Amino acid sequence: MTALSYPSRIKFACSVVLITAISSCTRPQLPVSESRPYEGASGRVTGATLNSAPNDPAGEWRSQAHDYANTRYSTLDQINTENVAKLRVAWTFSDGTLNGHEAAPLVVDNTMYVVTPFPDILYALDLTRAGEPIKWTFKPNPAPMAKGKACCDTVTRGVAYANGKLIYNLLDDHTVAVDAKTGKEAWRTKMGNVETGETMTMAPFVVGNKVLVGDSGGEMGVWGWIAALDVNSGKELWRAYSTGSDQQVRIGDDFKPFYARMKGKDLGTSTWPADMWKHGAGSVWGWISYDPQLNLIYYGTSNPSPRVPDQRPGDNLWTSTIFARDADTGMARWAYQTTPHDRWDYDAVNEDILMDLPINGQVRKVLVHLDRNAYGYTIDRVTGEVLQAAPFAYQNWSTGFDMKTGTPIVDPDKEPHPNVKLVNVCPPDIGGKDWQPSAASPRTGLVYADIFNICMDVTDIEASYIPSSPFDGMDMKRYPAPGGNLGEFIAWNPVTGKKVWGIKEIYMTMSGVLATAGDVVFYGTADGWFRAVDARSGKVLWSQKLGSGIIGQPITFLGLDHRQYIAISAGVGGAATVRADEIALRPYDFPAGGNTLYVFSINGDSMSSGPGQMTSKDNVSTTQPETGNGTQH
Amino acid sequence: MNLRPIHSAIGIAALALLSALGGCKHSQGGSTTTRTASFPSDDLIGAVPLGQVAGEPARVVTALSIDDPYHDNRQAIQQGKQLYISMNCAGCHAYNGKGNMGPDLTDAEWRYGGLPIQIYETIRDGRPQGMPAWGATLPPDEIWKLVAYIQSLGGTVSVSDYEHARQGDQPGEQVAPEAQADAQFAPTTPIFPASIPDTTQKPSSSPTPAKPGNRKP
Repeated sequence: MTALSYPSRIKFACSVVLITAISSCTRPQLPVSESRPYEGASGRVTGATLNSAPNDPAGEWRSQAHDYANTRYSTLDQINTENVAKLRVAWTFSDGTLNGHEAAPLVVDNTMYVVTPFPDILYALDLTRAGEPIKWTFKPNPAPMAKGKACCDTVTRGVAYANGKLIYNLLDDHTVAVDAKTGKEAWRTKMGNVETGETMTMAPFVVGNKVLVGDSGGEMGVWGWIAALDVNSGKELWRAYSTGSDQQVRIGDDFKPFYARMKGKDLGTSTWPADMWKHGAGSVWGWISYDPQLNLIYYGTSNPSPRVPDQRPGDNLWTSTIFARDADTGMARWAYQTTPHDRWDYDAVNEDILMDLPINGQVRKVLVHLDRNAYGYTIDRVTGEVLQAAPFAYQNWSTGFDMKTGTPIVDPDKEPHPNVKLVNVCPPDIGGKDWQPSAASPRTGLVYADIFNICMDVTDIEASYIPSSPFDGMDMKRYPAPGGNLGEFIAWNPVTGKKVWGIKEIYMTMSGVLATAGDVVFYGTADGWFRAVDARSGKVLWSQKLGSGIIGQPITFLGLDHRQYIAISAGVGGAATVRADEIALRPYDFPAGGNTLYVFSINGDSMSSGPGQMTSKDNVSTTQPETGNGTQH
Repeated sequence: MNLRPIHSAIGIAALALLSALGGCKHSQGGSTTTRTASFPSDDLIGAVPLGQVAGEPARVVTALSIDDPYHDNRQAIQQGKQLYISMNCAGCHAYNGKGNMGPDLTDAEWRYGGLPIQIYETIRDGRPQGMPAWGATLPPDEIWKLVAYIQSLGGTVSVSDYEHARQGDQPGEQVAPEAQADAQFAPTTPIFPASIPDTTQKPSSSPTPAKPGNRKP
């Protein structure tokens, strides 16, 4: 059955429900289908462990991924499968900007930090006072030009907290650190030149005294890189490019890739036509994770530029590649290219979740990576060996996976060539799943992910490199893959490489995911449904329609009142609205942009909600914010 | 406040515009219009303000009525389309013109004005939110061909509506008596340059679009 028959399905569902309770029809849950188990899939992984380092306070949320391993798992369990249906709005915050809201808020020391899309305003909200008033506002004034250089909306993927500072990237290629107490700028470092088309959208990632940042611009012909800055001074300590000579890529004698294809000297130049690597992209706009025992960071690089593969014959290393690097020196230890000679803009920037999993009777240190190319990889994070690779989303570009060489087998019929319209390539450029980060739970050993079910027709058009303009060349139209739904929320078994269950959604599922010790997982949809799901059964336990579509990342925290709260931003944008008119099945009800952070609690209880005046002396802390510069309120 | 000096200044400017166009004058439908077969001069284009003219709220700047000399010229539209692709316009505004990184060029929303002369200026001079200035790369006739292609996508403001677009007027709307134009600020004579027909051979136009020096294979 296709989702195009959605209205009739709803009618059918309601008529069935009518027999039992008419009121049920007034509470539509609206997934295309109820959670459906996938055949032959094991419901959980026993013996899976996750490292929760750096072990931030359980009630806080200090980094986008919550921990080095990128689990987005919280040990809070007040909200659980029994009571989650009582979640109600406790309070909200509107930040005054539009465009896509992709960042998770942070909660540190009873203060919530909310960052907006361009102009990248940072708010501190005082969680000790009723109404959560603004403590300070930091306006970094990024260059307006950046708005026209960002490929996929003027987004930011959030802020990191370290050493009393909030550190984030501005769209115009500056990294800033803001004093958490005063809201004053601590340092600002120019990382690139926005006039080249380079922007920065990723969330910094802090390891010890280093903050790691990278660039965006895979459609602009940039030279991709990752860099480490000193947390306290902002001084750059090292920079590793994604293409170029071994020296530029920071490849040395201890670089030991697992597969032969990635062994050799200066592959970052020799796998390109002359000089094409200089504008070959490999930008670093996704997530970084860290294993403190191995002292290695993990991250992926973007697609190669231009997006016309026939202009750049070769594997185009080190684009669409996962890197493991020494966290101190930035020197590469291993690399694994997920999509050689990436013809479809599949990237490798999606999150790497670090898990320790029992595989064939042995506990292996792995990273789980659901790639845009629709393969779910389980990779030995010590060696870079692929232990498991299987499609998690609908795809037809590859006919299988060669485990010996670690390479997907490409269907030659799905290779685009200039001026030839190629129909029905799946997934499209935005992948079987984009940057939206998954979560993992040690209680089930499963990975929970928002994925896509989309295909494209694509015509390559040769592109010229003209500084200031895109270096692109992909003319495409996206549409739903078989089944008709655009999105699905799945539980993925990283040991077997199989989906356990899935909830199909009519619109794209492009939010982050939160997993909790209450065995509840949270996700949102591009048409604005925020849902809580039983982590084991996949049953939808609670849904709330928000004011705009959801592409943000849910978090959970403890208030001063020791209550557990759930927070999520609603504000659709990003790639979820790129060509939304083409892929929306019901364009008439696709939500407009928004900018509201929603905070939920059981029954909506909080010191900012309930009967009566909320700001009397009796129920409010009278603590005044510290005074600072003119940006203080 | 005495507005007379400002009136006079703009009156002189309008006269200057008419003479800058050169070309032939002829009468059409009882009203005098000016037509020219040449490209509008830099002086004329420079007289188009990006914003409202201070001090004369109802006055329409006549230079806004300059049409694209290649308007509806199929050959030029085709060349404009090639330029649109080869100059990477499509990378931001999409191959179908419906926008991605850059705004939709097929709709009625124009941040810096949707009249042909305004679009010309936007392409030539760039805009602060990422639109590059192409005046140093493309000669005027190629920019006008790009304008003609964008006009052919259907979303621009017609030059005959030059008086109305600024106030959000739409064809077919009704106008309250109090909102009628103040006679004192009646617009000056509009300028409708003559179109260049398909067969016109411009010395500066070439069969293939211009390429920048640093073009890569």
